[in-house]
Amino acid sequence: MTLLRFPRSFDPVADLLRLQQEIDRMFENPFGLNLGVSGRGVFPAVNIFQDKAGYVARLEVPGVAPDTLRVEAHGRVLAISGKRDLPAPAGGSYHRRERSGGEFSRSIQLPDDLDVAKAEAAYRNGVLTVRIPKRAEAQPRPITVQTA
Amino acid sequence: MTDREMTIHSKQEVEGEERTRPGRTFVPDVDICETPDSLFLWADMPGVDEQSVDVNLAEGVLTIEGRVSLSEYESLNPIYSEYRVGNYARRFTVSSDVDAARIKGRVKDGVLELELPKAERAKPRRIEITAA
Repeated sequence: MTLLRFPRSFDPVADLLRLQQEIDRMFENPFGLNLGVSGRGVFPAVNIFQDKAGYVARLEVPGVAPDTLRVEAHGRVLAISGKRDLPAPAGGSYHRRERSGGEFSRSIQLPDDLDVAKAEAAYRNGVLTVRIPKRAEAQPRPITVQTA
Repeated sequence: MTDREMTIHSKQEVEGEERTRPGRTFVPDVDICETPDSLFLWADMPGVDEQSVDVNLAEGVLTIEGRVSLSEYESLNPIYSEYRVGNYARRFTVSSDVDAARIKGRVKDGVLELELPKAERAKPRRIEITAA
């Protein structure tokens, strides 16, 4: 008998495992959906999700100052650019250097039913989240069922 | 446009260690720079804030850990992925004598920045050579 049952949203462990499994599945099969994303392996890495409202792109841009980030809509294409400065103490010698700095730009071509011009972007803790809603005509619309 | 394309390393899972925390843990990319007075460390931990990071120095081993929050992933279904999501952890053997009490750190834009000042006795000392 189950004594306690929490709604799934209260179980961060199950959520983490489920999310990781789903992302791994996509990670291993990058060609499942042709989004017109080119430059896999180029900074910044992007994950794309779907929700009820449309698409959500999450890009890892650690160390990028928010004021250098630019997100632009060009028709169906979402363009993201910015600059990552790596601080270097004067007179220091490097033991490890695994991070790269400089300017970057990437564009992502999105499906036709999304309204790129209405996209909203938020930056938090080195992750840029861009929400792109579906066009109004692509939103689900309730259809009245007539009764005789 | 870019002069030189910035690339990313695919995240590597932490290996050779049993962890008590569920889910996958990845190795953050780091820069480590040494000056005569301090060691500086930067670790890329996108998604981590200052409340969800742990830094420990014990017996010459520096451990950094960061936990990511999943609240922003609620009701999202992945359709394309170039990076995996999970916590971060990495350990380093710190060779110079570090003054643990004076270690300073902060998290900014998903990067953990640490300054580990060297203990006085570990600093290079100039030895005066005098003519006889």
